[in-house]
Amino acid sequence: MAGVEKPTMAVNIVAADRPVWSGKARSVTIPASEGGMGILPNHEPVLTVIKSGTVTVVDPEGTRQSFKVDNGFIAFDSNKLTVAVDRGSVVTAEPEDSDALAS
Amino acid sequence: MGSQLAFKSRIASTGSLEKIFNAQEMIASSHIAKARKVALDAKPYTDAIFDAVQALAAHTHIKHPIVEKRDDTPRVAVLALTSDRGMAGAFTSSIIRETETLLSNLDSQGKKPELFVYGRRGVTYYKYRNREIADTWEGDSDQPGVEIAEKISAELMKAYMAPADKGGVSELYVVFTEFVNMVVQRVRVLRMLPVELIAASDSANDEDLLSDEHGDLQKNDGKSEAPSASPLYSFEPSVDEVLDAILPKYIQSRIHECLLTSAASETASRQNAMHTATDNARNLIDDLTRQLNQSRQAAITQELSEIIGSADALNTEEE
Repeated sequence: MAGVEKPTMAVNIVAADRPVWSGKARSVTIPASEGGMGILPNHEPVLTVIKSGTVTVVDPEGTRQSFKVDNGFIAFDSNKLTVAVDRGSVVTAEPEDSDALAS
Repeated sequence: MGSQLAFKSRIASTGSLEKIFNAQEMIASSHIAKARKVALDAKPYTDAIFDAVQALAAHTHIKHPIVEKRDDTPRVAVLALTSDRGMAGAFTSSIIRETETLLSNLDSQGKKPELFVYGRRGVTYYKYRNREIADTWEGDSDQPGVEIAEKISAELMKAYMAPADKGGVSELYVVFTEFVNMVVQRVRVLRMLPVELIAASDSANDEDLLSDEHGDLQKNDGKSEAPSASPLYSFEPSVDEVLDAILPKYIQSRIHECLLTSAASETASRQNAMHTATDNARNLIDDLTRQLNQSRQAAITQELSEIIGSADALNTEEE
């Protein structure tokens, strides 16, 4: 990927009984209680309740990863996103992402 | 001769007991590694919840039943965490002793304690004595999952949130065993509800807690929230809804934490107990072997003296 380095943030997805995933991400989409919510790096600090659904993480290489989650909340501060859920599991990790190639 | 046989059979049975104890000890020590892993796996979630609650406490004045004292009912809930299986030394009995002390203390304060018990040993103890128990849970006390924590906290939260005339309770105490290290496990009483929320900034040790035993929350926030001033969060959809969602989870994760440390303690105390039992069995075998040798020696000596005595008698007759 040429051009300007995109900003990233640290993401931590933890379920009640184990950590699910952690790493860097370019953007994250979460199923907030009032509809989907996208979070980009340097978002303002926010604490949001999320419902069951899918958390999608786009990592610095443009890989899109999905996680199935159940009830929880996210906390974002100092460029660190914590997704804490009752249950969580990795659904897919797609290596190819058209958005990333286009950019 | 008869006593020699008895000694031999006792030695044999003690020997097989020793093998059982030894096996139990090894099983327990392999479980400890597992218990430790489970506890470590649950830690990030606990930390995340704790940080979130801290953030909430830091810049909102929380108004929620969970943090407020209620005086409308004398009933309080006591949750005792015991083990499912025995062979763990004084594990369950020290929990029960501490629970009894707490119950009578609460009684003398004019409160009406209701007992909740987790673990088969504790349940049988109270059932056998026909004591009133509000609710019990059994199973997996040496490796409790999230499900059991969920069940327990849901039940206790229901009792806590219920109105006074419907069996509501005003406080929740948890009696559990804290895992200090492999050798030391300490029984502790923790008041879990209402939650004492202390904003990170004023977490000095000046709160009017009943005793240092209840200071867990403060102790925790000292290490996790010390450095940076917490940022100003925006809460979505609203502070109240976030509170409603997070505080019960906080309770659940605290209970899960208690279950996990109690499970680790149980395993460690089982390992210790089995180690001691193995040692005792070995000592016993040594003692018994010595006695066996002694009795065999005595029998031989007696035989000899009989033979010599009778030979002497024959000799004197011939003269």
